[in-house]
Amino acid sequence: MKETSTKQENQRGLSLLLSIILIFSVFGAVVFSVSQKISKEMSASAIQNLSESLDLIQSTIEAILRSEAEFQELIAREVACADDPVAYIRAYEKNRTMAKLSLILAGETEGVSNAEERFTEEGLDFSAGGTISGMPVSQSYVNHMGTWAYTVKCPVERDGQEIGTLYAEYIYDAIDQSLPNDGFYDRQASLYIMDAQSQRFVLKPKGMGQRSAGHLNLTDFYRANNIQDPEIRAEVESCLQEGRDAMFYHNIREVHALNYMWAVNDGTIFLVGYVPVESIQQEGRTVNQNIMVVVASLLAAFFLCIALYYLNWRQQEKLRREQEEERQLHNRQLAQALRAAQIASESKTTFLSNMSHDIRTPMNAVLGFTTLLDRDAENPAKVREYTKKITASGQHLLSLINDVLDISKIESGKVVLNLEEFALEDVLSSVDAIIQPMAKAKGQQFHLEVTGVRHEYLVGDETRLNQILINLLSNAVKYTPEGGNIWFRVTALKQRSSQYEHIRIEVEDDGYGMTPEYLETIFDAFTRAENSTTNKVQGTGLGMAITKNIVELMGGTIEVFSQIDKGSLFRVDLELRVVETPKGGATGHAEAEPEEAADLTGMHFLAAEDNDINGEILSELLEIEGATCEIAVNGQLAVERFQASAPGEFDAILMDVQMPVMNGHEAARAIRALDREDARTIPIIAMTANAFAEDEKAALAAGMDAHVPKPLNMELLKKTIGQFSRGKESL
Amino acid sequence: MSGMKKWIAVCLAAALLALVSCGGHEDPKNLISQDEETKRVVNLFSPMEKSDPNAENVARTAADLTIAMAEERLGVTVDYWTYTAEDYQDKTYDDVALDRARNNMDDLYLLNPDTVLALGTEGLLMDLSGLDSTKNLREIIRVANTVDGKLVAIPQEVVAYGLFVNVDLFKQYGLDLPNTPEEFLGCCRVFQENGIETPIGANRWWLETFVLAIAYADLYNGGNTQAEIAALNSGEARYSDYMRPGFEFLQTLIDNGYIDAQKALVSEAIEGEGPDFLAGKTPIVMAYWGAANTETAYGKTDFEMQVIGFPTHRGRMPVMPMTGWAVGAQAEHAEDAMRVMEVITSDEALQLFSETNRVISPSKNVKVDCVPALRPLNDRIEEGVYVLGSNAGMNVEQWGNTCLIVRQLLGGATVDECMASFDALQNAALNK
Repeated sequence: MKETSTKQENQRGLSLLLSIILIFSVFGAVVFSVSQKISKEMSASAIQNLSESLDLIQSTIEAILRSEAEFQELIAREVACADDPVAYIRAYEKNRTMAKLSLILAGETEGVSNAEERFTEEGLDFSAGGTISGMPVSQSYVNHMGTWAYTVKCPVERDGQEIGTLYAEYIYDAIDQSLPNDGFYDRQASLYIMDAQSQRFVLKPKGMGQRSAGHLNLTDFYRANNIQDPEIRAEVESCLQEGRDAMFYHNIREVHALNYMWAVNDGTIFLVGYVPVESIQQEGRTVNQNIMVVVASLLAAFFLCIALYYLNWRQQEKLRREQEEERQLHNRQLAQALRAAQIASESKTTFLSNMSHDIRTPMNAVLGFTTLLDRDAENPAKVREYTKKITASGQHLLSLINDVLDISKIESGKVVLNLEEFALEDVLSSVDAIIQPMAKAKGQQFHLEVTGVRHEYLVGDETRLNQILINLLSNAVKYTPEGGNIWFRVTALKQRSSQYEHIRIEVEDDGYGMTPEYLETIFDAFTRAENSTTNKVQGTGLGMAITKNIVELMGGTIEVFSQIDKGSLFRVDLELRVVETPKGGATGHAEAEPEEAADLTGMHFLAAEDNDINGEILSELLEIEGATCEIAVNGQLAVERFQASAPGEFDAILMDVQMPVMNGHEAARAIRALDREDARTIPIIAMTANAFAEDEKAALAAGMDAHVPKPLNMELLKKTIGQFSRGKESL
Repeated sequence: MSGMKKWIAVCLAAALLALVSCGGHEDPKNLISQDEETKRVVNLFSPMEKSDPNAENVARTAADLTIAMAEERLGVTVDYWTYTAEDYQDKTYDDVALDRARNNMDDLYLLNPDTVLALGTEGLLMDLSGLDSTKNLREIIRVANTVDGKLVAIPQEVVAYGLFVNVDLFKQYGLDLPNTPEEFLGCCRVFQENGIETPIGANRWWLETFVLAIAYADLYNGGNTQAEIAALNSGEARYSDYMRPGFEFLQTLIDNGYIDAQKALVSEAIEGEGPDFLAGKTPIVMAYWGAANTETAYGKTDFEMQVIGFPTHRGRMPVMPMTGWAVGAQAEHAEDAMRVMEVITSDEALQLFSETNRVISPSKNVKVDCVPALRPLNDRIEEGVYVLGSNAGMNVEQWGNTCLIVRQLLGGATVDECMASFDALQNAALNK
């Protein structure tokens, strides 16, 4: 799919590129054709422009020549009228236009001149047949002034008869003065005047930069400007012969130039030279430059637009990709969440299945043994055996329920730590007292090591700390085969604050160990190393989750390292505030003394219990212990009954909490509030299925003295009552 | 997106700026400016060789640079007027220069020594001795250009003529470069025996240098120059006596076929003999100093070239005529022309000229290394051994007259006839 999409994108890109190339080709062709057209028009315009300039110069020179001829005719008439023409000529003053005036009378070969003694036609060549206003003009020559000149001759007629010929010599310098001062085309044009017959250059550009051109004659001009094309030269020759104008393109020293041979006075003289085309087409060049600027601007604008479009597109594409990535991320997260939900659901299903199994198993035992009990009621040995097993199953069921409730509470954030001073040593001793027998029962070696603990008294939730340790250690016992080792190490780490003891608790075993996969989920709720239906080790699978949650609630960390068949190591780091001056009563030593169970024989209790069965069980159990009990079915009745009792009638009040009419807390407060002496002293013991610490706290707050959770454990009850009876005795 | 907005804003601002800058300023009512300065012109007449489109003419460039300097400094425009003879039948540059100067056609002229003397004698040239730049002139320059007590011309270079020899050919035939006329004849004989029929390339202008070198080697280097010149001017001594050995030597060269007299008589300088010399067919030509520097002459050869003095019994002898710039006495723009002269003969201009053209400067303050080929000639000049090709102190003009009389020899006249021409010139001078 992705490959197909890429291919399509490539094809689209190629099409776009081809389209752009096509557009540019068309654009280029249009620009090219326009520029070609402009070039042609400019070329035609340049030729036209130059032609007009040359025509103008030609007209000027021809006008000078005509006026010279007219002037000469005028002089000829004056000479004709003069009494002594020779004297007239000799007396005629030279000037810069007419360098010499000479006269040869008819029938003579020698004449007179205003510049020299004698004058002959020798050295003057009229053979080319050129004329000015019908008067013969000679080939050009360098005259006595050292400058190029020409002579025009005209007849001198008197009374219709030719009496002689008047020769007037004109110098080209006079024409030069009539030409544009600065040349033309901003002195870029070179302009020679060439005598057609001799092909000598008789007038030359005078600027310094102009001196590179051939200046001697046409041959020199050809050589200097490298005009070697025979066709051009033949055409020029033909034009010279016929007195026609010629103009052609030829590069002069690598500059594109228009060269010209422009006939003046019917081709007796020619204007010769060249003009760089750029000089003629200055405005055209400007137009072309401007066109190029416009085209360049358009192209720049186009490319700018393309660039902007591209940038925009890239930005959009980036945005789209980001959105796509985000969407994919969300999808992944959703999938993960779904997966997690499915796993959770599966876990809970598994958990329920496990629970069902775990509850049904002891329940099966309870019910099964109850049936057997019924059958073997007459056999006391069997009855005792059955009741023992029923009790064990009940205990298991109870721990199961406790754990489930505990994790539920932890997860719903309702657990509150009960911080109070405690002695670490007491905790370790009590844990040791519990675990040592369990390990011993399984033939395991239990090693307890305490290293470097600086403070004995600490502040924390002793019960929860106990719970952590028992959980870890009981697990170690559970998952370590017989004959294995369990190490319980408590090490003080470096203090981060003098007010806190930083301790590390390690529980290590060389038992079954765990797989890496299981290690990843060991602290998740509702998981267990093995399915309870297949595992001989029974448990709720909540212990580790509870442990981790409590450690974190205490601000600590827990880690686990394990290798299958090698064993496991649980490491808990905790910081517990130290107690500088422990309270006297908080030594715990007194409490640590093994509590003695009271002998209930002869005691009489008031029990507030709304449940008939529970009431009956209580009565029966107390009766077994030799005590009696009076049941009130709610708090109100209990209060009233106590109020009505004689002082000392009841040894203690056993108070259920959840009851109709008046609950246990209210009842306890009411009793304590009674105006009689024993109202504040009679032990009130909460005996309730509300078995959590806060329940106990609430009970104590209500004025009760102790808390014994249901199901009723007679040993515990006896110990609790024993506490109060000893207290009473000591009083 | 904000970046794109910035771009668009910048583009719009640029477009607006362009529109504003294109916005019209009002045209004046009269579109032609009237405040043009009056153009000051100086007309300059100088020769110009025929053009070669691919060669650089250093000599002309050097002069142009100094003229450009003057134009820039003075705000004048120098207009060039030139003349070049198409062939030997044409009027010569000197003829035209004389005509133009006599008719007061130009302001500044570049003149050959004979023309300088002729026009100076006629009083047609301005006295330049008042220019500041003359203070730096070498004495020899001042003497050679002084006519009737007036300094009438100042050169931009000291022109020295010498023999340009193809050293490779001399080596090929085991020849040493000649010092004396006899050695020179010996070399020519060897070249001829080895198939070089005409060992000397010549034109109608410069063969006189052989004659002048032999004629005046003693006069200028014998320690009695002034007395000898005085004797000539007084008629006690005869120019023909000095000239005869040189002419006889030239006659020998012609008689032996070492020089093609007929060809030389119709050949223009360098144009006639240059191609064969450059092609290695002719081992010896004569030319002026600057020809060794410029590509239009012999500035770029495929063989080892050296420039040596002409053979005399006093050894190799450079011949130094003086060309120079002069100002017409009646020049239309005399004042500006004098200013231009001041600039182009200043030490700064002469330094520029000499550096560009690698020539000996007429200013004693300017010294430039010459190209290796010119060292033999330069060494002689530095030693003070040379012959002047022209001397305004002599009452018979030397450079132009000798040239013309050599042409007579080339045309078939005898040495005696040529000497008679000198005698006639001297007599005419004595009778003035």
